[in-house]
Amino acid sequence: MTKADRKKAIIVFAVLAGVFLLGSILTGGHGEKHETVQEMMQDAVMHELNKVSLFGIKDVNPGLIAAFVVSGILILFALICRLFVIPRFKLVPGKFQMLLETAVGLFDGMAKSNSHHLNKFLGAYIFTAGTYIFTGTIFELFGIQAITTNGHPISLPAPLADINGAIMMGCLSYLVIMSGGVAVNGIKGVGKALKDFSLPISMSFRMFGALLSGALVTELVYYYSALSYGLPIIVGVLFTLLHALIQAYVLTMLTSMFYGENAEKSEKKPKKKKAKDKTVIAEADQAASA
Amino acid sequence: MTGLPLNVDWQQILLHLFNFTILFGALYVLLYKPVKDFMDGREAHYAEMDSAAEKALADAESSKETYESKLKSFDAEIKAERSKAGEEIDEEKKRRLEAAKTEADKIISDAKAEAEAEKGKIIASAQKDITKLISEAMEKLAIGESDKDVFDKFLDAAEGEDK
Repeated sequence: MTKADRKKAIIVFAVLAGVFLLGSILTGGHGEKHETVQEMMQDAVMHELNKVSLFGIKDVNPGLIAAFVVSGILILFALICRLFVIPRFKLVPGKFQMLLETAVGLFDGMAKSNSHHLNKFLGAYIFTAGTYIFTGTIFELFGIQAITTNGHPISLPAPLADINGAIMMGCLSYLVIMSGGVAVNGIKGVGKALKDFSLPISMSFRMFGALLSGALVTELVYYYSALSYGLPIIVGVLFTLLHALIQAYVLTMLTSMFYGENAEKSEKKPKKKKAKDKTVIAEADQAASA
Repeated sequence: MTGLPLNVDWQQILLHLFNFTILFGALYVLLYKPVKDFMDGREAHYAEMDSAAEKALADAESSKETYESKLKSFDAEIKAERSKAGEEIDEEKKRRLEAAKTEADKIISDAKAEAEAEKGKIIASAQKDITKLISEAMEKLAIGESDKDVFDKFLDAAEGEDK
């Protein structure tokens, strides 16, 4: 590209941006907003106003619909990979093969390094959880629309920005941790896991809080059209990417660490012979005093 | 279910759980397991290659050691072979010398016998000649030739015979 071409491209880009900005300012007052920012933010937390019908069976939070959509996308992706990509795997991997192998290897390695026992299941679980959290969080960037029961369009949020999704993930991770303990140590494993009874709550609400705050900030920014230029690149894309990575890493890391801790074989402590020891000490004292 | 804070809905939690379980199963079967199997297979393949290379290296090392020890024993073998060959040569030499000596003895004894036979023949011939000469001389004496003539004739005859 020559200098002149580059200049032309910059001018066209600036003109287009200016036109869009002007258009948004001119049309700003006429856009229909069916809820105030307060209502919108309250609804993002409470899910009272905007419900989506689940095939006419039940009105559910948009997060659940988002969860089904994300799962559908992931399963389709996995199916395509299984049918067309994995059979063509080579000993020396290409770029896409490398990507898949890195993802699998990352979670498998994390499971192996944190738990010496039963890490095969743990690897599969944290792979799914990590992929789900990451993809689900990225998913909110696409702004896929759904129609609420009130007839208003709503962009689907991250599945785990829904409190029910976050509770499910936190509690399931806790059950997985507990299962590791039970599988290795039997009933003692339950006791070990019960020591960390606050874990499901902390895991659930950490995830819910992190994803919800991201969603709220993004919603807030998009609510005002004047803030919709430039700023979403940082608060929308970069923040979402960051917390997608961070949350996926945090939950999988915590799960694998606690799982490894619980799945550790407990060593039998030798019984202390207190009475015998006491007599030995007393005899030694007597001998010393004599 | 109403009454729970933040509108927590157990039914929706179970639906989330159902969704995640389906996702777990599908991702495990379709993506995680095949990729991991491939990676494990590749690791096993390279481990096998590595062990084969190590085995080949160990074989080469042992072959090297064998050949080195063979080379070392080869000198001793050469020495032994050389001494054996020397002994054989000595034996052959001795045998040939004995054969030669036997043959020489035989030649000498044959020659001696031949010479003896020749000598006997010559003596016999000389005796015959002498007898003949004496008989001739006696004949001439009887016919009447002088002693001097007879003697001269005898000498001439002897000289002629020498020639």
